[in-house]
Amino acid sequence: MAKKAAIKRKVKEIQPKKEQEIAAEESDSENEDLLQPIKDPGEDTTDDEGIDQEYQSDSSEELEFESDDEGNYLGKKNKEEQSGDDSESVEEDSESSEDEKPASVKDDGPSSSNKTITKTLQAIAESVRDPSKPEYEDSDTSDEEDIRNTVGNIPMHWYDEYKHIGYDWDAKKIVKPPKGDQIDDFLRKIEDPNFWRTVKDPQTGQEVLLTDEDIALIKRINSARIPNPEHNEYEPWIDWFTSEVEKMPIKNVPDHKRSFLPSVSEKKKVSRMVHALKMGWMKTSEEVEREKQAKRGPKFYMLWETDTSREHMRRIHDPVSAPKRDLPGHAESYNPPPEYLFDAKETKEWLKLKDEPHKRKLHFMPQKFKSLREVPAYSRYLRERFLRCLDLYLCPRAKRVKLNIDAEYLIPKLPSPRDLQPFPTVESMVYRGHTDLVRSVSVEPKGEYMVSGSDDKTVKIWEISTGRCIRTIDTEDVVRCVAWCPNSKLSIIAVATGSRLLLINPKVGDKLIIKKTDDLLAESPNLDVIDNERIKTAVQWANADTQEQEKGVRVVITHFKPIRQVTWHGRGDYLATVMPEGANRSALIHQLSKRRSQIPFSKSKGLVQCVLFHPVKPCFFVATQHNIRIYDLVKQELIKKLLTNSKWISGMSIHPKGDNLLVSTYDKKMLWFDLDLSTKPYQTMRLHRNAVRSVAFHLRYPLFASGSDDQAVIVSHGMVYNDLLQNPLIVPLKKLQTHEKRDEFGVLDVNWHPVQPWVFSTGADCTIRLYT
Amino acid sequence: METENGEGQVQVHLKTKQEHYAVPDVPYAIEGSVTTTELNIFLNALLQDKDVGNVDFDFLVFDEYLRGRLCDHLREKAISFEDAIEIEYVERFPAPEPQDCLLHDDWVSAVKTRGKWILTGCYDNTINIWTSKGKHKLTIPGHTAPIKAVDWISLDDEAGRFVSSSQDQTAMLWKWNIASNAVECISVCKGHERGVDSVGVSPDAQRFATGSWDTMLKIWSAELDDSAEGASKRVKESGVRTPKMTLQGHRESISAVQWMDGTTLLTGSWDHTLKVWDLNMEGIKTEISTNKSIFDANYSNLNRLIVTASADKNLRLYDARTNRKSFIFISYLFNFVTSNNFTEGSVVRNTYLGHNAWVQTVMWSTTEEFLFVSGAYDNQNKLWDCRSPKAPLYDLLGHGEKVFDIDWTNPKYIVSGGADNTVRVFKSRKAQGEDMDTK
Repeated sequence: MAKKAAIKRKVKEIQPKKEQEIAAEESDSENEDLLQPIKDPGEDTTDDEGIDQEYQSDSSEELEFESDDEGNYLGKKNKEEQSGDDSESVEEDSESSEDEKPASVKDDGPSSSNKTITKTLQAIAESVRDPSKPEYEDSDTSDEEDIRNTVGNIPMHWYDEYKHIGYDWDAKKIVKPPKGDQIDDFLRKIEDPNFWRTVKDPQTGQEVLLTDEDIALIKRINSARIPNPEHNEYEPWIDWFTSEVEKMPIKNVPDHKRSFLPSVSEKKKVSRMVHALKMGWMKTSEEVEREKQAKRGPKFYMLWETDTSREHMRRIHDPVSAPKRDLPGHAESYNPPPEYLFDAKETKEWLKLKDEPHKRKLHFMPQKFKSLREVPAYSRYLRERFLRCLDLYLCPRAKRVKLNIDAEYLIPKLPSPRDLQPFPTVESMVYRGHTDLVRSVSVEPKGEYMVSGSDDKTVKIWEISTGRCIRTIDTEDVVRCVAWCPNSKLSIIAVATGSRLLLINPKVGDKLIIKKTDDLLAESPNLDVIDNERIKTAVQWANADTQEQEKGVRVVITHFKPIRQVTWHGRGDYLATVMPEGANRSALIHQLSKRRSQIPFSKSKGLVQCVLFHPVKPCFFVATQHNIRIYDLVKQELIKKLLTNSKWISGMSIHPKGDNLLVSTYDKKMLWFDLDLSTKPYQTMRLHRNAVRSVAFHLRYPLFASGSDDQAVIVSHGMVYNDLLQNPLIVPLKKLQTHEKRDEFGVLDVNWHPVQPWVFSTGADCTIRLYT
Repeated sequence: METENGEGQVQVHLKTKQEHYAVPDVPYAIEGSVTTTELNIFLNALLQDKDVGNVDFDFLVFDEYLRGRLCDHLREKAISFEDAIEIEYVERFPAPEPQDCLLHDDWVSAVKTRGKWILTGCYDNTINIWTSKGKHKLTIPGHTAPIKAVDWISLDDEAGRFVSSSQDQTAMLWKWNIASNAVECISVCKGHERGVDSVGVSPDAQRFATGSWDTMLKIWSAELDDSAEGASKRVKESGVRTPKMTLQGHRESISAVQWMDGTTLLTGSWDHTLKVWDLNMEGIKTEISTNKSIFDANYSNLNRLIVTASADKNLRLYDARTNRKSFIFISYLFNFVTSNNFTEGSVVRNTYLGHNAWVQTVMWSTTEEFLFVSGAYDNQNKLWDCRSPKAPLYDLLGHGEKVFDIDWTNPKYIVSGGADNTVRVFKSRKAQGEDMDTK
């Protein structure tokens, strides 16, 4: 305020006269007032500070006047400034020389910010009216000052053409402050060092001198900072609510039982209500409402009670109403029209259908009577009543809900056999030559030859591709089983004939290997280990005599009981034999290189049917009649027992990877065991119509075959995935039924070609057949 | 009614490549239900003034033999009845006549003709030489196991040379003096580790190739004097010959070996592949994978196609050039290749159904572009035209047992040997019209 006062004083000094003249023109009272402000400033400051409202209002006149004076001045100043701006921006002719100097004199900062200042001025002019004082202390006075002009918020240029710029509280015109001429302005510009910080209040037309604080404030706003310079943006954060989670509960009172146990009494109450609702003792509000509605309206009754209502009582849903009898027609009349009466032909026809009365068109013969009196008693009355009752009694009362399930839907989705090729589809070759049923067949590991053993006491070696029987070897007993050594570096066939196991050199294939095998089998290695008595009595090894040597037999292993099966270990050094009658010595393992035999089991667990070596692990599978036991040969212990749930196992075959076992049984089933999965069958296949004799896995293709007494060989796809999560896929592919039936026997053995997708089967019809 | 039975009239153009049977190129409207017999009568009526006598014709509709009713044929090929249909007619290949039956002591597993001589290999380890008139010339023992294959190397008026391969793991080179009827074993080719199943002599008669059960393909010199090799004297004197080259690649027995030209070999194997070997590169040039074991494969120089026999009843036609993307001839010849052939592997050009059992042997005609013969375990030989996949031209009956080998090197004779211990000779005449052509 002190500054303002100073400014005013200065103004008075410069232009006292002009103001006075103008003021005198407007009004006398104002003229009188004009003198006063000169004294005012000091009082004004004292007045404003700490003086109550009333006093302020009293002094308002003075203030008003003062500001009026100021306003005049400011208005004038503003005009000047505007013209100066214009001259700067638009026409730089006359005043440019004048302007240059002050600009050079002044600081660069303020002058450049001058324009922005004028722009933001309107918005902040009011709030910065008197920044030297605390904002709220003299807010009232500043407000008063502000609204001295009562025109309101209108564009002030409306008053451009008038001498006044509005009206004060007393509805008197506020005169525009006098405009100084350009020379005055120029002088002021030069003289007044604060010229750059004077702005014009558009509403009052007065000039306002901005304080340093104002400018600082404007600068802060311009630079988008918080206007209050005392505000600290980086005050320390007070953490009112802690972020740490409390580990312990604040209170340790356990929940009341009520909170988790439903109330018993409530439950009883509810159940009582439910029962009452169900029995109809209690009614819901909806039902009560409906009953009320029904009582109000008209009432209808069924003339005849329907069947259905009763059925509903008996809780039969969607009942079938009893069939209605046909209404009586003319034919049933006691005196029918003559056309309804039967003629001779119709009578004959009616009588002819005596045995099947339901085919008659009418169930009676129309008859004519002269009068109703003459109608006799109906002879069939009782019977017909009975039949009607029987009909009603037997009639289905409810509609049967029939499940519409497509049979296709129930069948699991299997790939088409067409996509699973190659697999054998046709019989390609029949190997004839045996004179009795052929028990067993085995193929050379290279796949050129095969061997078969028959009940005619011979072993035959065949060339597969031509069907040529290359060699026939007579043995002295029925040949139960033949097995070609899986090691291609050896040329040996193991033949189980009677109680003797013959190791035969077939003399086919590579001559070098034939010779090496002969050399190997000729000498018996020296044994330093002496077999115990139990083994000695069971097995004797011997070289074949000369007569048999000529036939190709090299080694004879004589057992104490007939041998049923012989099987090789994958390496071709060990082979196992089965003697079902051997009690606790029924399974034997022979080692070829050392000519030694072992009895792996001391106790008999049952009638041993067949044995099998695991293709990879040192495991030994023993199938008794009902179960299969898997033994670890190294640890000499039982690993697993597979439960087949069948009556009699006939054979088994292991997948070349060793995780899946296929078992055939005499009760028409084939069982697939996933050894990793369970001891129960993964899948049971009932593909055959008769006892399954033999199963075999292919070594390379995902195929397996089974032969049965129903003369069929069934080829199936059995894919085992490396992914342990995926179960094996089994798809029956082809039934090959070309063997003939003989003495209730069909196919006795099946075996795969080691390389090609070809399967061999031996049958009771003395043939071996090849399917490709 | 007409549309239902497809027996409406069809417009046909009759064409032929045999000019002396040409008829004017006028469209004829004929019933859709006609068969070959009716067409024959019709065509003979047209040819009446030409004075060619009564000739039997076969009719090709869209490069396939007409075997049933014309309308069925068209429907199968999905050809519109509205179009004018071109029917090409060729003189029917005359039926081969059974001429002779040569009795052997055991199964005949190999047979080969050259000139008037028939060379047969037998399961009793002997090789026999017969004349085409059925006269037995010579029985040659020597092998210690059944003969699996024989082939002529050279033959002139004085002497002949031939090679035989056997299950005793050897191939033997023989020299035969016709005048004195004496045979001499030049050398024994040792090297295979199992039975030698197939043998093929190069066109220049310098080398021969053998394929064996030990999966190896070996190339040997067929010269009388094997001096080119630096073999030791002892080896030379003993007459033992070692392979010039051993090619490894098959995984199973090699069942067929044939020279395509001087440096290219075709082999077929049980491991389901056909391989074309380049001997200059000593490697595989082309490999065709099939999905059946191949028992015999034969390549024709006339149409450059391979026909194979396998365990199922079908014969299949392959093109070794498929990998080289030259379809020009194929598209001309087999634009009827149906899509189901493609599913089997895009290289199968055609499949011939007709045999009832395992087909063991197959051979192209050396003179007729489209004809080949096959022998199977259903005791039948069949004569095929490769444009007639549904049915063979002729069944050559006679064998009472499996047929092991068939030969048609001499275009006059179709010779086959089988498990009934006989070699059957069928005389195949040339078509009458072709004779006129050559004149």
